[in-house]
Formats: sequence, C-alpha cells, structure tokens
Amino acid sequence: MLTTGPAKKVTIYVSQDHLYHGESLYAAILDFLFYRKIAGATVTRGVAGFGADHHMHTDRRAMFTENLPMKIEFVEAADKIKEILPKLHEMVGSGLIEIQDTTIVKSAGSDPKTTALIANESVPSLKRQSKAKLMRIYVGENDKWHGKPLHTALLESMRANDIAGVTVYRGILGYGANRRIHAETALHLSHDVPILLSAIDTEEKLRAYIPVLDDMLQQGLVVFSDVDIIKYTHDFEGAERRKEPRS
Amino acid sequence: MKLEGKAKMLRIHFGEDDKWHGKPLYRAIVEKCRELDIAGATVLRGIEGYGASTLIRRTHLLSFSHDAPVMVSVIDSEDKIQKLLSILDEMVGEGLIAVSEVEVIKYVHQGGVRSE
Repeated sequence: MLTTGPAKKVTIYVSQDHLYHGESLYAAILDFLFYRKIAGATVTRGVAGFGADHHMHTDRRAMFTENLPMKIEFVEAADKIKEILPKLHEMVGSGLIEIQDTTIVKSAGSDPKTTALIANESVPSLKRQSKAKLMRIYVGENDKWHGKPLHTALLESMRANDIAGVTVYRGILGYGANRRIHAETALHLSHDVPILLSAIDTEEKLRAYIPVLDDMLQQGLVVFSDVDIIKYTHDFEGAERRKEPRS
Repeated sequence: MKLEGKAKMLRIHFGEDDKWHGKPLYRAIVEKCRELDIAGATVLRGIEGYGASTLIRRTHLLSFSHDAPVMVSVIDSEDKIQKLLSILDEMVGEGLIAVSEVEVIKYVHQGGVRSE
C-alpha cells in the first residue's frame, strides 16, 4: 500500500499496435502491473506523436489509424519499482520508460492489507532441468474473483508471475470440500463444473506464487507433485515474429 | 475435513460409456467417493485417446456416439485411498488406475455447506 512521502512515478511510452506474445503490449503491461499488486496504473492514448523512429503517428487523416502513442503511468514505492523493472524492460522493447521522483501528498484507498511480494527475479526459469513441480489447482467454474471468473484471473496472474505454462481443464462432474456435486447436465451446459488448472515450473517459482494464491483462493484445493521435465521447447523465432506489429 | 501435507492422488482412466449397474461408471465412482467421505473427486473428459484394448476413442460432434476417454482424479490421505482402491477393483472392469504422491499446499472451503 502506498503511503504518503517520497515515491517514484514511472511513465512508459509504447505504440498502440505493439504486441507482446500476441496480445497488445499496453494491455499486457497493465495486466502485469495489476497482478504484481502495483498500487494503480493509468493508460492514456495520445492523439498524435512520434517516437524514436521519427515516424509521425496521427489520426489527423480521416482514415482509421491504430498506431497511436500509448502512455502508461503509475506511482509506486522505489523498492517495488526496482523489483518489477527488469521484466518491464523486457516487455517494453522499443518503447521508452521514464522514472521520476515524486511525493505522495495523499494516498488513495484505505485498504490496509499488505501486499504479497513476489521476488522472483532471482529465481531461475524452467529450462531443461530434469526436476520440476506440477501444481494442480481445483476450483469451481462459478467461482469469481473481483467479478471475473476465478480460473481466468488465476491464469492471468500466473502469466504475470512468469509461470512457465498453464493449462485449464473443464471437468464434467465432481465435488469438493463443501460436498456439493458439480455436474454438467444433459440439456443445458451447467456453469458450475469443476475446473482444473495445471502448471509446471521450478519449485521456487511455484512456491513464490503461493502468497498470491492465498489471496485469490477462498475455496479450492492446491496440490504439488514431482515431475521430470523431458522436453521443454520454445519457438523463439515464432515469438520474435509475434512481437512485431502486424502489417 | 482436514487435508494437508503428504497425500495420495488416484487417477482412474476409462471410457465415458462404461457402466456400473446401469449408470455411468464415472458417476458411480463419484457417488462412491462421497459415500466414503473422500475429500473430493473430479471427472475430466478427454477429446481423444485409446486404452488397453487399443480402440481409438473420439468424441463426434455430429453423431451422438461418445465414448470419449474420461479420467476421475481423487486426492485424499493414503488410508482413504486404499479403502477406495479395494472397491474400485470390482467396479472398474476395463481401465487403468494409477496412484501418485502429492503434497497438499492448500485445501480451503467456506464451512457449513454439507448438503446432499
């Protein structure tokens, strides 16, 4: 939670059509900030501008342009900024990041809950190590988190926390701790079937993610088991291609 | 119900069309789990697969032929799982049952609701 006193203000400039893993970059950055518990962030779209490539982006002409400048701003404590900066650096790519000292005169909100810090910059990522952990999370399809489906929120938060990969399965029948049967019925699709999320990554990464789970999961089961990684490949060329703006 | 630390995970693989006393086997297994007060059970339907009899199972969108592969996963303490296993032996005529070690990280529920 932000308190009054010195803090840092970060401003990131990107282009509206820049992509990050196939998703629009500014949205990916916003998601990242959200699930890293940054106190708040604002995205504004400019009406015209130019960047390092000295190419004018404008909507002056009548045609519909999707290449307008986007500005993402947020204010946070200096140590928190330091923690997320490496990842932001990687995401922003050809955009600009600016940090300035600022002073908070009045902090927003009144929620005194401490935030779960996930320091995972030092945690090695999943490569071709032989030992890893498989994490399974069982929730209900109807479970909500801040108004959105819990399984979607979990997936997004795992992505923002750099978990190597997640798969969501929809069950057809089941029951959990409260012993209420969740079933898909014949005539209509039930919307309260069991959902299983499975993720594989290093033990440190997954354990570092538990505080976030503690916060989001009010009902459900989380288990870990040992797995051996046999093959973990990543299409780097494809990823580079996807990062480029679509023409 | 408390569930923490080391536990066992049981996975039972069979076909969606398999029956037990006239009702779907997966439903019968879930009901049996409830009877035995097992912490939870989840049935997942696969989209394609084959089993011991090497028959390809596939869900057809247009025809109503199902028999997709299904998997029931159950997590509980070792003795509960052993108890279930002895019953399953009789219920699962053709299929695969596997047990593995898991570590329970979190098992939470909003108490009180134990309705039938």
